[in-house]
Amino acid sequence: MDGLFTADIENRGLVLDPRTKLFVIITLVIFALGGTGSDIAAVRYGTAAVSILPAVLLLTAKQYGKAAVFGILFVAVKAAQLLLLPYITGAALSILGICCMVFVRLMPGLIMGAYMLSSTTVSEFIAAMHRMHIPQQITIPLSVMFRFFPTVLEEFTSINTAMKMRDIRIGGKYAGRFIEYRLVPLMVCSVNIGSELSAAALTRGLGTKVRRTNICRIGFHVQDIAVLILTAGLYILWILGMIGVVI
Amino acid sequence: MKDAVLLRDVTFQYANGDSGALNEVSMTVQHGECVLLCGASGCGKTTVTRLLNGLIPHYYGGALSGEITVFGRQIRETAIEDLAGTVGSVFQNPRSQFFCVDTTAEIAFGCENMGLPEAEIKQRLSKTVSEMHIQNLLDRSIFNLSGGEKQKIACAGVSAMLPELIVLDEPTSNLDLDAIAELRTVIAAWKAQGKTVIIAEHRLGWLSGLCDRVLFMEKGRISAEYAGDAFFSFTAEKLNGMGLRAFRASRNYLESKPGLHCIRPFESAGSISLTDFKFSYGKHTALNIRNLNLPAGSVTAIVGHNGAGKSTFTRCLCGLQKGFKGRVSIGGKMLRPKDMMQLSYMVMQDVNHQLFAETVLEEVLLGAEESEKDKALSVLEKLDIAEYKDRHPMSLSGGQKQRTAIASALLAGKKLLVLDEPTSGLDFRSMKSAAALLRSLGRDITVLIVTHDNELIDRCCTHMLHIENGSIAPD
Repeated sequence: MDGLFTADIENRGLVLDPRTKLFVIITLVIFALGGTGSDIAAVRYGTAAVSILPAVLLLTAKQYGKAAVFGILFVAVKAAQLLLLPYITGAALSILGICCMVFVRLMPGLIMGAYMLSSTTVSEFIAAMHRMHIPQQITIPLSVMFRFFPTVLEEFTSINTAMKMRDIRIGGKYAGRFIEYRLVPLMVCSVNIGSELSAAALTRGLGTKVRRTNICRIGFHVQDIAVLILTAGLYILWILGMIGVVI
Repeated sequence: MKDAVLLRDVTFQYANGDSGALNEVSMTVQHGECVLLCGASGCGKTTVTRLLNGLIPHYYGGALSGEITVFGRQIRETAIEDLAGTVGSVFQNPRSQFFCVDTTAEIAFGCENMGLPEAEIKQRLSKTVSEMHIQNLLDRSIFNLSGGEKQKIACAGVSAMLPELIVLDEPTSNLDLDAIAELRTVIAAWKAQGKTVIIAEHRLGWLSGLCDRVLFMEKGRISAEYAGDAFFSFTAEKLNGMGLRAFRASRNYLESKPGLHCIRPFESAGSISLTDFKFSYGKHTALNIRNLNLPAGSVTAIVGHNGAGKSTFTRCLCGLQKGFKGRVSIGGKMLRPKDMMQLSYMVMQDVNHQLFAETVLEEVLLGAEESEKDKALSVLEKLDIAEYKDRHPMSLSGGQKQRTAIASALLAGKKLLVLDEPTSGLDFRSMKSAAALLRSLGRDITVLIVTHDNELIDRCCTHMLHIENGSIAPD
């Protein structure tokens, strides 16, 4: 299985603190997706630089294919946006506009989120949330996500195979019920797995009143500081732009 | 000394009507004893394990009466999570008993929940790992482990919590013989440490010499009790008469040489010839068979150790493997992978993945024409599931779901039926009827069964294909 969300902690390359990754995601949402400060040229360049960060991180995790696809798409669409957008009109403009929306604004955050899911272990995540003083009631449900996405994806692949053998496909005889036929088994399997997973976790003491220990060590290293400086720089540029120091 | 486990007049009925209700069950288990619970599906053996780890009544609700005491603690008044240091549980499905994504954290997970000091956890972790010889499994991703390796990690996680009582609910359903042998050593070690072990199982052979006492359950009652030695000297006929699986089949097919063997008189009627069945995942060659003629109309078992390339072989044959270049020809006609996908159908181990429709009848008609309703009904009749035709497929039992999947393949005119471990989790009766069904499908359909179940092979297969290291060449 080589899914986007599949955790592969065996060769994840550069190990970043989960808090660093979270900070990058939030920054991408604010600046790339939200378009904050896009009237300031310096912030626009900064946003582009931070947006390409997920590709770099994927490269360090040896996920060359995904890194290349995302990197090239981003650079190509961004270049088209800068060079072509002022000169085109009509349908071409709409299409390019949609492409920009998806590949330049939405994708960086999504890719970063996928990278975070695939490169963070559950214990690192719980440790990070604990350091940020987030209560367990929020942390534990969120941490289940790390197990759940890859598992559902595995189920989904099996269901796909089964559908192929039954000749249920887009354009086939049952195109209209394509989605229903896919969702029913997926939901049944997910619910079964979810309920068995909770039962197993309970028998192993999840949810006791005792304060939970975590043997996982997390902390900020050189690579975290580099990423944090780059990302924080964006906020500084924005503030400087707001008060008119840079344009 | 007080008993480790005491059940007195326990009666239980699942709130959602699941099978496995208990009727006035009483039992005691001594400290350090190893007890086997056996019986047909739905006899209540799983329910007993759930009483012991507190999942009943705290997680699976229902009407419960009677007294349950485990190491002096009243289960009904103790929360499941507070039992964690006392009772450890190993479950059936390795896919759904892990909370973490990496193995080290998974082994430490229970201890972390108990709030033990960090140094203590580290010490327990390294002790468990060296006792179980699983150094090579540390810091791995759960998703890259085999079923046997996953079950070992589950046992290690339980071991590290140092529970007094360990309950295992059908722990071998998804394991091959090698992995079962390894699980056996783990349990033997627990016994040597003086832990109390209770196992609910329908595969029995591997427990011989391990269990001190055997409780045989029928319809929610403990109907007989045997000393371990006496029970494990029962004949296959006696066990089968009780609805239990035999300890071992007449022969272990894994001991044969790789290649295709005929194991039952069979009149040949043409063949399915496979050429250049070669496939690699990256640098790893998973399959390397130059030429093979599968007898058409046969029931062929595909055996081999875990990772031998059995599933790659069936995926290639059914046209499901992307990038596969081999060729198949039937009766001189060359077939492309796309044609093979049309002709073949795979019944998966988790059959939930392939039931889509709202009723059984609608399900089997899915691949066929509307006009074939009469034919559909007769197929359902033949497979003994006609009475469920208006039920939702997901509400059926495992064996019935399997039959529904087979029925849909028959109706869609599939000529090649592949079953992946069809008897994992089936008791003797369901195994027997599955074997009878597969044997009766007729010469028109070629059946391939990927299985570790020697008893099933004994009962229904005409041929056996032994694959090792992706190859069928005798080495």
